[in-house]
Amino acid sequence: MRFQLNFKSGKPVYLQLVDQVKAAAASGAVHAGDPLPSVRTLAEELRVNRNTVAKAYADLEGQHVIETVAGKGCFVRAASSPFKKDVRLKLLAQEIDGAVVQAHHLQIAKSEFLSLADDRFDAFAQKRSRAEQ
Amino acid sequence: MNQEAPVIDLDHLVRRYGRTDAVNGLNLRVQPGRCYGFFGRNGAGKTTTIKCLLNLLRPTSGAVRVFGMDPARDEVAVKSRIAYVPDQVAFYPWMTVRDTLDYFASFRATWNQATERSLLDRFRLDARQKTSHLSKGQRTQLALITAICPEPELLVLDEPTSGLDPIVRREFIQTVIGAYQEGDPGRRTVFVSTHLISEFEGLIDEFTIIDGGRDVLTLDADAARERYQKVHARFAVEPVGLDLAGARVLRRGRDIEVLVNGDAGDAIDRLRARSPEAISTEALTLEEIFVATLQPQGAVA
Repeated sequence: MRFQLNFKSGKPVYLQLVDQVKAAAASGAVHAGDPLPSVRTLAEELRVNRNTVAKAYADLEGQHVIETVAGKGCFVRAASSPFKKDVRLKLLAQEIDGAVVQAHHLQIAKSEFLSLADDRFDAFAQKRSRAEQ
Repeated sequence: MNQEAPVIDLDHLVRRYGRTDAVNGLNLRVQPGRCYGFFGRNGAGKTTTIKCLLNLLRPTSGAVRVFGMDPARDEVAVKSRIAYVPDQVAFYPWMTVRDTLDYFASFRATWNQATERSLLDRFRLDARQKTSHLSKGQRTQLALITAICPEPELLVLDEPTSGLDPIVRREFIQTVIGAYQEGDPGRRTVFVSTHLISEFEGLIDEFTIIDGGRDVLTLDADAARERYQKVHARFAVEPVGLDLAGARVLRRGRDIEVLVNGDAGDAIDRLRARSPEAISTEALTLEEIFVATLQPQGAVA
C-alpha cells in the first residue's frame, strides 16, 4: 500500500498513518495476512521519525487492525475488534456525530445524509470485491 | 520518560561576545529519544548554544546540563556519549577516507563496523580517496558516518544540510532516521539546528524557535500544527468592518485569510456570520509557523 502524508491537514502524522491502514483494510487494498513495511523502511521512505511510525503501529495493534509476529514484522489482521458490541457502537457514534455536525453546517438533510452513507457502504463493498478478483 | 534526566537541559543560558549577547537567557529541555528541532534565523544564537553544549565555549551565566552533567566538569563523560556534525566539515586533507574513519574510531569506545560498511556503500564513498578530493556533499556524508558509527546517545547536527544538493539532503535525513535510530530508539536523541525546516518536518517531534538569543516558542510538532491554522474565506463582496480581534489577517479584496494561533473556532464563527461563499482551514507547516512567529505583524507575505 502507498501512504500519503499531509502536514497541512492539522492531523497528527501518526494518526494519518493509522487511518490510511484502516482505510486500506476496509477497502480491500490490503488483506488479512498482508505484511506492512518495517518501521525503519516506512520511516525512511516517508522521511518521518521512527517514533511516529512505531506509535502508529502500536495504535493499530491496540485496535486489533494489525498484529506483530516476533522476528517477522507486522501483518494485517482479519477485522476483529477487542471491544464488546455496545462499546463498538459508542465509538462509531462519536465519529458519526462529527459527520452530523458537518452535515448541519453544509446544510445536508438527514435523508440525504443517510442515502449518502448507504452509497459509501456500497462503494467500499465494491472496492473490496474488485480487490479480491 | 520523565523520571530520566533530560538529555539536554539549558537554564537561562547567557553567552556574551564582548558587548554582544549571542545567547541571552535561553531555556530548553530535550527528553531522551526525541528528535528536537532548534530553529532560528542566521545569527539567532544557534551555533553559540551548540558550542556551549559541547564545551567549545563557556557560558557567561546560566546552567548547561547534558545527560544531567556539566559539560565543562565532566567533559569526557559527556563527549563520549555525543556526536556532532558541524555546518563546516573539515578533515585532515592528507588522510584517506579509511584513515579518517580509523582516526575517529580510535577516540571511541564503540564503533559499529557493519554500519560503517553499509553507509560507505550507500553513499558510494571510496575508502581510498583522499579527503581533500571529496566534494562538500561527500565530506558531510563522511562526517555523518563518523558521527553515527560510535552509536552516540545524542546526535547534534548544526545546519547539516545547508549547501547540499537535494539528493544528498534526502539521503542524509534517511540515514539519520534509519542507521542512527536503528539501535535503541529510546536512547537515540537528535538535536538539529536548521533553517531548512521543511526538510526536517516529518522528523521533528518537538522544537524551539530561538530569536535574539532567547527561546520564543517551544512546542510539540503535532500540537503546533493543530494550534496554528490558516482560515481562508471568500465573500461575494468585500466585507467591510469585519472585526477579527487580534488575529493576523490578510485581505485580498473578496478573499480573507486569517492566521489563527489557538482556537480557530472563534475566527471561523466571525467569518461565517458574514456568510462567505466558501471557507476552509489548513494547518500551518512548521516553516510557516516559524515565519509567522518571527515576522513582525502586518508584514505577512
